[in-house]
Amino acid sequence: MSSLFSWRRAATVLRKECLDAFRDRRTLLMLLLPPLLVGPLFLMLIFNLIATQSERAQTLTLAVQGSAHAPALIAFLERQQVTLKPLSDDYENQIRRGHIDIALIIPEDFPDDVAAGRAASVQLVYDRSRDRSQVIIAQVEHLLAAHGREWGRMRLLLRGIAPEVAAPLKIQATNLATPQQSGALLLSLVAFYALFATLTGGMAVALDAGAGERERQSLQPLLITPAQPFELVTGKWAAAAIVNTLVVALTLAGFYLTLRFAPLPAVGMPFLFGLAEVGRFSIALLPIALLLPALHFFVGIRGRSVREAQASTSVLLLLFALLPIAQMLLQQREPDWIAAVPVAGHYTLLTHALRGDALSNTDIVWAYLVPLALLLLVLIAAAQRLNREARL
Amino acid sequence: MIELTRLCKRFGKRGEICAVAEVSFCAPAGQITGLLGPNGAGKTTLLRMLSTLLVPDSGHARIAGFDIVADRQQVRRHIGVLSDARGLYPRLSAVENIAYFGSLYGLTNRALDERIALLLETLDMRALAHRKTEGFSQGERMKVAIARALIHDPPVILLDEPTNGLDVMSVRLLRGFLRALRDQGKCLIFSSHVMSEVATLCDTIMVLNHGHLIAQGTADDFRGKTAQTSLEDAFFALLEDDEQKRSAA
Repeated sequence: MSSLFSWRRAATVLRKECLDAFRDRRTLLMLLLPPLLVGPLFLMLIFNLIATQSERAQTLTLAVQGSAHAPALIAFLERQQVTLKPLSDDYENQIRRGHIDIALIIPEDFPDDVAAGRAASVQLVYDRSRDRSQVIIAQVEHLLAAHGREWGRMRLLLRGIAPEVAAPLKIQATNLATPQQSGALLLSLVAFYALFATLTGGMAVALDAGAGERERQSLQPLLITPAQPFELVTGKWAAAAIVNTLVVALTLAGFYLTLRFAPLPAVGMPFLFGLAEVGRFSIALLPIALLLPALHFFVGIRGRSVREAQASTSVLLLLFALLPIAQMLLQQREPDWIAAVPVAGHYTLLTHALRGDALSNTDIVWAYLVPLALLLLVLIAAAQRLNREARL
Repeated sequence: MIELTRLCKRFGKRGEICAVAEVSFCAPAGQITGLLGPNGAGKTTLLRMLSTLLVPDSGHARIAGFDIVADRQQVRRHIGVLSDARGLYPRLSAVENIAYFGSLYGLTNRALDERIALLLETLDMRALAHRKTEGFSQGERMKVAIARALIHDPPVILLDEPTNGLDVMSVRLLRGFLRALRDQGKCLIFSSHVMSEVATLCDTIMVLNHGHLIAQGTADDFRGKTAQTSLEDAFFALLEDDEQKRSAA
């Protein structure tokens, strides 16, 4: 450790690693194309799903059998703008195949029950496992219940009883979720995808610069030059971090451009991924984009070959990718200390950004402090590892 | 130019394996000094210590006046090493491979370009210069590796079994190049387990066995000492003799 850290030599290493990475066209293409394509494709699918759901909800079509038995109910449904159509005999098959969402069957004894003052029954047939039918099923159930209530009120009024007697509890619901927040729930997947790009973007370059260097037997000649291990590590990490940041930037650009310019179906939910969100995402993702290549590099040079390094880094990746999924599934209010946990804290920040919330300053400080401290430690450990490497 | 004084290196948890034992010799400038010994004699360990990759357990060595432990950084500037690890960057061209190392030695634009041009010329590799090294033959790789090791024009050159895996043509070219370097006044150390290899090229031969320096001299000295006419027999007789002494002790 006779001479001090030389920025010039670290920059030389960085320049060479970048040149090397950008020469590897095929790997680079595999790295840079998916963020630009997969993200938008994925968004299109989500939006189409939302669009078809709201479309179905707007024009409610109900297949009815025996409409002649309940003229009052039919009139009520027509007043509610429900399109009615006759039900064919093999309706069960049609529902299973998804041609019909829901069927209403009015039995023959319906008028007799009504006349006798008994509760008259109607039958609803649907397949609740079908996601896109959910909204329609709920709507039809809601409409029928409303008709039943109205009918009951009239009967009570005829008997001289105030309707409130039969309805002592009145529910008034206020939904505090803004449309943007409801959208954020679904699009937490966007956050996950962006985070995943940050975890993997620099992996190929970091592995090639570490384990690849040893596998090619070019590491030992490099260690005999005046370049210090810490300079080598810094240069190599910086190259991987640049590629990683590029992948993340392209991913965010893909989301932004799709939402801004692509002919997406008009959805009632104003989901925003504007420049403010891009900015907040960048702030939240940057520390991870810097830390991960260092981890990949460190884990990589501990392996004897690129293959072994890939195996160890995929364990690392799995661990990190599981964090947001666990958070998504737990659906609990997160403790405050999560802000200090790398990856988990950053995922939380991303979901805040998607909800349209401003990022809290303390959270940002934690989101930078911990990864940057770790980064320094990992770089030092990697340099020591290279130093030992020379002595083997 | 290179002075070794009782240099020692042991391996193993309790240091039970003695790789290099109290080796002392001097390799002057303007000469090719051969390190000859069977596999496992300690040649590579010795060269790794001189390359500053290994720290000796005891004893010391000076290269161009610098101690290999205390002045490691200075030593690195004064040595060029060609070991069996000759990996190149396959996506970079020959010149880019060489220039990368040149930059790490602190060479910049003009000086670097001139030095590369000279090496391309001497090693007769101008046709290869701008091709990516992926798919280079063994001989072509060797040329690039030599140019890379000598980019900073070091006064001391260490070669660890450089002819391994090379064809006759490449070996001849390498020999010619090394002789030219000697004539320029460089100090070269050349290790090999092949007697004839060392005999054709080296001015002085150091014979190593089990980490000990068991003989030194010219090829003719050995022939005289062991009363053998063939060099190979002379080498073999030396080793036999050492093994006998060793088992007696």
